[in-house]
Amino acid sequence: MKVVIQLENVWKTYRMGKNLIHALQDVSFKINQGEFLVIMGKSGSGKSTMMNVIGCLDIPTKGKLYLDGKDVSKLEESKLAQIRGEKIGFIFQQFNLIPTLTALENVLLPAEFQENDEEKMKQRAVQLLDFVEMKERMYHTPSQLSGGQMQRVAIARALINNPEVILADEPTGALDSKTGEQVMRLLKDLHKKEGKSIVIVTHDYIIAKNAERVIELKDGMVIKEEK
Amino acid sequence: MRWNKAFKIAVNIIVHSKIRSWLTIIGIVIGVAAIIAIVSIGNGFQKNIQQQLGGLGSDTISISSGFDRASECPGPRCRQRPGDAGAATKNPLTNRELQAIRSIPNIAAVNTVVSQSNQVYSLGETATVNIDGVDVKVWKETTTAAMNQGRLLTSGDINVVVVGSVIAKQVFKQPIEVNRPITINGRAFKVIGVLKESGGFGAEDRKIFMPIETARDVFNKTSSQYDSFVVKVKDENQVTAIEAEINKKVDVVRHVTPDTRDFTVISMKTIQERVSAILTGVTLFLGAIAAVSLLVGSVGIANTMFTSVLEKTKEIGIMKALGAKNADILTIFLMNSGLVGLVGGALGTTVGVGIAVLIPKLGVSFVQGGQPLNTDISSQLIIFTLVFSIVLGMVAGAVPAYRASKLKPVDALRFE
Repeated sequence: MKVVIQLENVWKTYRMGKNLIHALQDVSFKINQGEFLVIMGKSGSGKSTMMNVIGCLDIPTKGKLYLDGKDVSKLEESKLAQIRGEKIGFIFQQFNLIPTLTALENVLLPAEFQENDEEKMKQRAVQLLDFVEMKERMYHTPSQLSGGQMQRVAIARALINNPEVILADEPTGALDSKTGEQVMRLLKDLHKKEGKSIVIVTHDYIIAKNAERVIELKDGMVIKEEK
Repeated sequence: MRWNKAFKIAVNIIVHSKIRSWLTIIGIVIGVAAIIAIVSIGNGFQKNIQQQLGGLGSDTISISSGFDRASECPGPRCRQRPGDAGAATKNPLTNRELQAIRSIPNIAAVNTVVSQSNQVYSLGETATVNIDGVDVKVWKETTTAAMNQGRLLTSGDINVVVVGSVIAKQVFKQPIEVNRPITINGRAFKVIGVLKESGGFGAEDRKIFMPIETARDVFNKTSSQYDSFVVKVKDENQVTAIEAEINKKVDVVRHVTPDTRDFTVISMKTIQERVSAILTGVTLFLGAIAAVSLLVGSVGIANTMFTSVLEKTKEIGIMKALGAKNADILTIFLMNSGLVGLVGGALGTTVGVGIAVLIPKLGVSFVQGGQPLNTDISSQLIIFTLVFSIVLGMVAGAVPAYRASKLKPVDALRFE
C-alpha cells in the first residue's frame, strides 16, 4: 500500500527560557493511502505539535518527514505552503473560516492560491457545498451559520484542491454530540466513498472508535499503536 | 497566485474595515487635494501675472531717480547712502542723463516724464490722481495702451489731457468722455482722448497724461529736470545689455558707483523674471506644506496597515495553512495599501480639481480691481499625484505587509 506520510525519528524541541521542551521525541510511523487514522492523546501530549508537523505547518527539529516519498523536513516556508495547498486539507476545531467571506468564497479560498481554472473551481466548490448539504447557504457568511454548518463548510474547503490527506484537529470539539456525529459521518463517507486518507487528532475516545488505526501519544512519544 | 485573486482579497479586506479604511483614505484625500489645488492656483496666478506684465511691453526700460532699497540693498552700508530718504531728497534726472542715454546705440526712443499726484475736478467731483507730463513726440511709441476714444497728444497741444481707462470709467461717478472739461490745480483742461485698458498692472490706466511743458507749468517744476525716462529699445533681446549700459553711463554722469547709486533702472523683462521667481518660490513653499499633509496621510496608511495586519493575524495563519505563500500574503497586503493610496489619490484629485475649477468662478482676485484669479490644472500634475499616492500607499504598507508575509503559520493560527 502506498505510504502518503512517513515520520522518521522526528523530534520537535522548543526552548522555554533556559529549558528545552521536547514536544515530540523520536516519533516514527507511516500513514497509508486511504487510511483512517486517529492520533490520541491528552492535553500536553504533543498531539497539536504532531498535527503541525504532519500538516507541514512546522518542520521537525530533528528527523525526517516524507510526503509522497519526498523529504519535506528541510523545505522553506514557500515550498511547504505549496505542498500544504496541494496535498493536505485542514479541518480545525474552531472551523477557522474567514468571517468576511461567504461560505462559497471560504470554500474557494485554498484554490485562490493555486493555478487553476476559476470557473471549474467554482463549479467544484458548489458541488462540494452540495455534498456537505450547505448549497442552500453558500452565500451566507460564517456569522450567519451554526457551528455544525461552519464545520461542514470547512470540510468542503478542505476538499477543494482534492488533497490526498484530510487532517482534522478535534473536528467535533466545538460541536454538540449530535452535530459532532453528523460531521464524523461526513468524514467517514469521505473515507469510504472518495478513498481519502483521514487523520484526526483528538482526545476523544468515541471518535477513536471510528478509526482503522489509533496512535496514542504521551509526553511526545508514541506509547500505543493499535488497529 | 494571480493578481486578480490577490486583488479580490485586498478589496475584501478594505470593504470589511470600512471606517478605518475611509479615515485613512480621507488623510490622503486632504493631502492630494491640497497639492493639486495649491499648485493649480500658483500656476494660474503665475500665468495671470505674466500676461499682465507682458502688457507693459517687454522692450521698455524705465529710469527713475531714487533707489529702491528693499530689493537692491546689498548690505547695511547702503542705509546711509544719499537719495534714499524718499521723493523729497531725490536728485531729479536732468538733460545730462538724457544725453548720456540717448548716446547708447539700439535705442528707439526716450520718453521724458515728470510726475505729480494731484486733485482733479470733474463735474463737481474730486479725486486724487497721478498725472504724467510726457514728451508728446515719443510718448506714442513708449506707451502700451491703445486709444479708445479721441486722439493722442501731439506737438502744440496746450491745456489738453488724455486719460487712462480706470480714471475714465471708475474714479468718477460720471464717466469721463472726450471733450469733457476737467480742472487740475485751478487750470481748465479738455479731455481729448481716452485710453483702452493697457493690460499691464494698469499703471497707465490710473493716470492722466498731458504734455511735459504743460505739466511743468501747472505744477511749478523746474525745466530740464525729469522724474523718470522710459526707453524703448530696438531689439527686445538686447534689453539686458542696454539696461547695464544705461547704469554704467548714468553712474558716470551722476558721479556715483553701483554702491552709492541714487537712481533705478528697471526693465519689464527684469520685473517679469523677478515676479516669476517669487511666485515659483511661493508655489513651491505652499506645495511643500501640502506635501507634508500627504506625508502625514501616508503615516496614517502605515498605521492602519499595522493594525490591519495585527487584526488579521489569525486569518493570515489560516490562509497560509490553506496554501498561501509568503509572496501571496505580501501581494495581498501591498495591494491593500496601494488601493487605499489609489482611492485616496483619485478622490483627492477630484476634490483638488474641483476646487481649482471653482475658484475662477468665484471671481476672487488678489489685486483690488484686478483680473479674477485663474487656475491652471496640468494633466502632468494629476498623473503625478495619482501615481505618487499609489506608490506612497505601497511604501507605507511595505513594512506591515512584509511582517504579515513572514508570520509563521503555526504562530499566526494560534493568535486570538
